[in-house]
Amino acid sequence: MYLKISRENLRKWLTELKKGAEVLVPEKVNGLWTYTPFQGQDPLPNFLNSRIPPKSVFFPSMQALVEWKSSGGSVQLRSLTPAAGPKVLFGLRPCDARGLRILEPVFSQDNQDIFYGQNLSRTLLLGVACRRPCPGSFCEQMGIDPQAAKDFDLSFREITQGFIVKVITEKGGKLTGGGVFFTEAAAKEWEEARSEIKNKNETLSFDLEKVKTRVGERFTDEEFWMRVSLKCLNCGICTYLCPTCHCFDICDLQIPGQGIRFRCFDSCAFPGFTKMAVHNPREEKWRRYRQRVSHKFNFFPQNFQNVACVGCGRCVVHCPVNLDLRQVLLAISG
Amino acid sequence: MNEQVQEKNIYHPHLMEIIKVIPETGDTKTFHIKFQDQTLAKSFSFLAGQFAEYSVFGEGEATFCISSSPTRLTHLEFSVKKVGRVTSALHQLNEGDLIGFRGPYGNHFPLDKLRGQNLLFVGGGIGLAPLRSLIHNVVDTREDYRQITILYGARTPQDLCFRYDLEAWVKNPTLTMVPTVDAGDKNWKGKVGLVPMVLEELKPSPVETVAITCGPPIMIRYTLKALDKLGFTPPQVWTTLEMKMKCGLGKCGRCNIGPLYVCKDGPVFSLEEIRNFISDEF
Repeated sequence: MYLKISRENLRKWLTELKKGAEVLVPEKVNGLWTYTPFQGQDPLPNFLNSRIPPKSVFFPSMQALVEWKSSGGSVQLRSLTPAAGPKVLFGLRPCDARGLRILEPVFSQDNQDIFYGQNLSRTLLLGVACRRPCPGSFCEQMGIDPQAAKDFDLSFREITQGFIVKVITEKGGKLTGGGVFFTEAAAKEWEEARSEIKNKNETLSFDLEKVKTRVGERFTDEEFWMRVSLKCLNCGICTYLCPTCHCFDICDLQIPGQGIRFRCFDSCAFPGFTKMAVHNPREEKWRRYRQRVSHKFNFFPQNFQNVACVGCGRCVVHCPVNLDLRQVLLAISG
Repeated sequence: MNEQVQEKNIYHPHLMEIIKVIPETGDTKTFHIKFQDQTLAKSFSFLAGQFAEYSVFGEGEATFCISSSPTRLTHLEFSVKKVGRVTSALHQLNEGDLIGFRGPYGNHFPLDKLRGQNLLFVGGGIGLAPLRSLIHNVVDTREDYRQITILYGARTPQDLCFRYDLEAWVKNPTLTMVPTVDAGDKNWKGKVGLVPMVLEELKPSPVETVAITCGPPIMIRYTLKALDKLGFTPPQVWTTLEMKMKCGLGKCGRCNIGPLYVCKDGPVFSLEEIRNFISDEF
């Protein structure tokens, strides 16, 4: 089913949705794009993608898990639960929606992590097709179509007058209900709204299938990993900005009489990540870089079928020393 | 989307009370703990080799094996060497203090593969803790096993853990207990020598025998070599691996050895499995 909505009606519709749900849209805060509560603005002017991926809406950089009150030797523990109630995330990109789905089995398999699971299941994903390539991105090489996404509930394509919308899920369809803001559209209009992305980066193209086979074979090639990781600073920005990195730490915070236990992002780039009492199996930098690349392109697919990379390009653009993952993947496949 | 989300916080610890603290060595203590909640105490079960996340509120969580036996469920025991923040905080605690407990997690020793076999335990230092759980277990069901030999070593006599157990095992006529130290003192009457060397001297027969080892990484490495020399094949040798963990549930991503999670797929592995690991990172 296809629908059409004008820019003006989109604003009205989101305003209407806000009455019954938490509505997040892209907004520039301190010069950086992020997802913030909708305030009636025209969404998406010049929006490419958010600096921090929307994984942080579902798996925040800091999440309290339990809290306690203590007095005179006794402890009262209280289990925290994720916030409830419907939530709408508008404007997210196909790559990031794929990232959210890739992370789903990590948190839901075997032992259900309610924090990620409930946050995702209460949220409707309203995605918007890309019109321009993001710097450093290689989404198409990772098998992601920046013009469509099966991972959304509603998929939007921008046209001059507004948007053509493809209804992907029943829940998404219900959200558009009433016919007040939307009018019906034809499949042809959806096809015509597909915009060709110009100025794509073709120079650093690698064969993903080859990468997947060769990354395992390369594992024991120490010299290779030393060479490709040489300039890495272990700053961890690639892991913090990655839509599929999910490693976390669990820590306590306490003031007299009360405290919380929370989880927070952690990074395999840090030497302390695997440091134990007696030894550290990934003391050397090349081992840590090898772990990151192997986890994404070898171990993760073995455990969860998907490669843990969506080609969003954040790690490429924001690496302070220009360690370009595309070049590393090209070298692996070569 | 997954609509069937369980209403259960997997990171929620249970409160347990410390009922006894036993100093083992200068830097290691064993804690006896019991559930505050009687219903939980009754329903709780685990298998030898499993571990848990223990916490001091305000200091954080740390991973230790359960060192008591599933056949002795009146309380749980775990042993801690003082090395970092959480372990130092644990060492400050006394009887009556409360700690957090999540578990049991991980796989366990393969009792089905051990029954009817001779058992050879090779332990070093605090590495006796997970073996001790299994040793008590097989001692309590002694008729299921044939000869049981325990080789245990530490740096000096003062570094031997669980001395009360060692004494009981020496006196137990159905066990062969061989204690050794790297360097003895004037009162030491046992063997002097590194565990792998004493193992080679002992020459245990590999026939219908399963070897289970745990200790510092360097001891495990040379013990595996010694066992190979003695004719033990990889499926006959079992060990438990240590990796830094946080969640214990396969989520937090740090205990990976290649595609395996030590917390979910381990911590107990056969040498056969370890040989096939893609990675040497353990």
